Amino acid sequence: MGRLRRTMLYVPGNHPGMIRDAHIYGSDSIMFDLEDSVSIKEKDAARHLVYQSLKTLDYGNTEIIVRVNGLNTPYGKDDFEAMVRAIPDAIRLPKTETPEDIEEADELITRIENQIGMERGTIKLMAAIESALGVINAYKIATASKRLIGIAIGAEDFVTDLKTTRSPEGIELLTARSQILFAARAAGIDAIDTVFSDVNDEEGFIREVRQIKQMGYDGKSIINPRQIDIVHKLFSPSEDEIRKSIRIIEAIKEAEEKGSGVISLDGKMIDKPIVERARRVLELADAVKVSYC
Amino acid sequence: MKIHDVGIAGTLESSDIIIHIEKNEGKGIEIELKSTVENQFGNQIRKVIKETLQELGVTDAIVRANDKGALDCTIRARVLTAVNRSAHSNNLPWEVK
Amino acid sequence: MWYDNFREQVINLQSKTERDQLEEFLKKQNLSLDRDIEYTVALFDGDKLAAAGSFSGRVLKCIAVDEEYKNMGLSSKIVTHLVNEAYSRGRTHLFIYTKPENKAIFSELGFYSIAEVPAKVVLMENRPDGIKKYLEEIARDNGDKKDSAAVIVNCNPFTLGHRYLIEYAASRCQRLHVFVLWEDKSSFPAEIRYRLVKEGIQHLTNVVLHKGKDYIISDATFPSYFIKEYQELVETHARLDLEIFTRHIAPSLDINRRFVGEEPYCKVTSAYNAIMQEILPIQGIDVQVVPRMVNDGHPISASRVRELIREGKLNEVKELVPETTYKFLLSPEAESIKKHIQSNSQRH
Repeated sequence: MGRLRRTMLYVPGNHPGMIRDAHIYGSDSIMFDLEDSVSIKEKDAARHLVYQSLKTLDYGNTEIIVRVNGLNTPYGKDDFEAMVRAIPDAIRLPKTETPEDIEEADELITRIENQIGMERGTIKLMAAIESALGVINAYKIATASKRLIGIAIGAEDFVTDLKTTRSPEGIELLTARSQILFAARAAGIDAIDTVFSDVNDEEGFIREVRQIKQMGYDGKSIINPRQIDIVHKLFSPSEDEIRKSIRIIEAIKEAEEKGSGVISLDGKMIDKPIVERARRVLELADAVKVSYC
Repeated sequence: MKIHDVGIAGTLESSDIIIHIEKNEGKGIEIELKSTVENQFGNQIRKVIKETLQELGVTDAIVRANDKGALDCTIRARVLTAVNRSAHSNNLPWEVK
Repeated sequence: MWYDNFREQVINLQSKTERDQLEEFLKKQNLSLDRDIEYTVALFDGDKLAAAGSFSGRVLKCIAVDEEYKNMGLSSKIVTHLVNEAYSRGRTHLFIYTKPENKAIFSELGFYSIAEVPAKVVLMENRPDGIKKYLEEIARDNGDKKDSAAVIVNCNPFTLGHRYLIEYAASRCQRLHVFVLWEDKSSFPAEIRYRLVKEGIQHLTNVVLHKGKDYIISDATFPSYFIKEYQELVETHARLDLEIFTRHIAPSLDINRRFVGEEPYCKVTSAYNAIMQEILPIQGIDVQVVPRMVNDGHPISASRVRELIREGKLNEVKELVPETTYKFLLSPEAESIKKHIQSNSQRH
């Protein structure tokens, strides 16, 4: 079963206080950022800080992701060299536009893994798509490396690329969100939505989370711990969904005990997608500690 | 590694430390520390700074540190950055533990 | 605050809109934007200016946080940014010029107080022992205690007038300390000004020559001198500079008298001299104003010398400067300085 990635908390990479406290708010993933939140003069400092912190601090079961600078910048390569050695769960590549971007990152990680005697494939990849070209190539990107665990849409740069701005309704993102979601589902990996940057507009935030959940997204990038509980609540399944899912899982158990190849419930056959969904519902329920016993 | 120019790294924000490093040829490592937690952790902070410099092979340096309650890993990171900046070095000591 | 919403922005001081916004913000905090500011950073909450800070040379100043955003750590963000920027420009010995009520904040941020004009201004530096080291340096070869006096000169360049002042003072005390201002904001660079003084006073055996460095009429202790425009602040700046002189410099060299040339031209310098005559005697230091040496009916001054250089009348300069200075002016080394003076009409 895959991990839950409902919330991915951005943590600026040159901020020791935030790095230290990042995991206490309970987000599913933490994303330490070496890219946009770090000024050019502080790239070296943030790289050292995140490296030393990941080597030392214990973040428990929280998934650890580092957003590096792109390989077409002067910082990207050094970021990879350092971060692979810091062993996060995944590295997030920003501004991905082509499958070659991913292949290049994959090869670089492989080389470093070999160099330090780490098992090949240990470090996973995430790709952020932030341009029209990236959206067009979304499926090719999503299938460019076995390391990929998810793709994400980065809206700020994307709307600039489209020559528009973000609106409360999000119509400008609709196609891109759909395409990225299709690509992720077709490739069998996660789809993560972009940040909502006005932390004071809770209503707008809730509206957006509802929308992307309904579309099928696995989760959302967030910039403030205050947003974590809101997302988790909106992602928790209803009691009805939970009840149904429990019955499905019990039916599977029964079928397995009987040695039957066909699983049925209430006279209807249960196929694989339904089983998957039931498992996911229970996982989500488990994560928010909804009692269903 | 030899310290030639002045290097600085870190911020004055809470949980951070500013490390200023400059040359001190032939006179060993001198640390001037100012810390919000001087009494409890002053010695530990000095120790981390010294050890990090030793790992980098820095034997002579004046270090001025203004600590705002930084963790050891933050102190290490800031010392590494300051030394690299002062040595204009792009050598990446990731293999240093 | 977690991922705060403050936007850090370097202010474009050439842009009138940005400058006006900054000036208006500072005015609310009872501050004005000094004319010599070269770099400013601000933190914005949306479009609202929440905090700002600047530097000029090695001096951080005009640092202010809006009342609404106090105690959120914004001043440390501003100071960190300024310190890093100054370091990246090769300036590592930094000063802060601020109101005394902010002393505690900047002390937290690693600055140490040098001198204070009560209720007006305090000057701090980012080294615990900065001024102590300077005092050790100037007192190193001082030897036994003698009746000592001081002269502080810019010598841009060294003229017969300066030589006269130094000779006059040297003949009236056992030991004379001459400080040459060290700020490189004059037509003649500090090293050259110092060298010309040194060469021109070889005949005087009881004179000790010092580099003025950071603590004597520098852009940290007396910024007005280099702004060269009379403003209200001149008095405060002068008091601060003189406070450092009486509290630190004079005691470490047993100085009990200060000689100063009469100042008929510059309003800033004459204001400084007036305050000196008011303050120093209270602290037990005599002030003696020495009339200017006159040539052909005109007082000799370095600005007159530069004026003649600008007009290309080197022959007339010969009458006003010691031979050593004149020889330098004819040397290839002086070419670029002369050119600079000719292309420029500033007072200093």
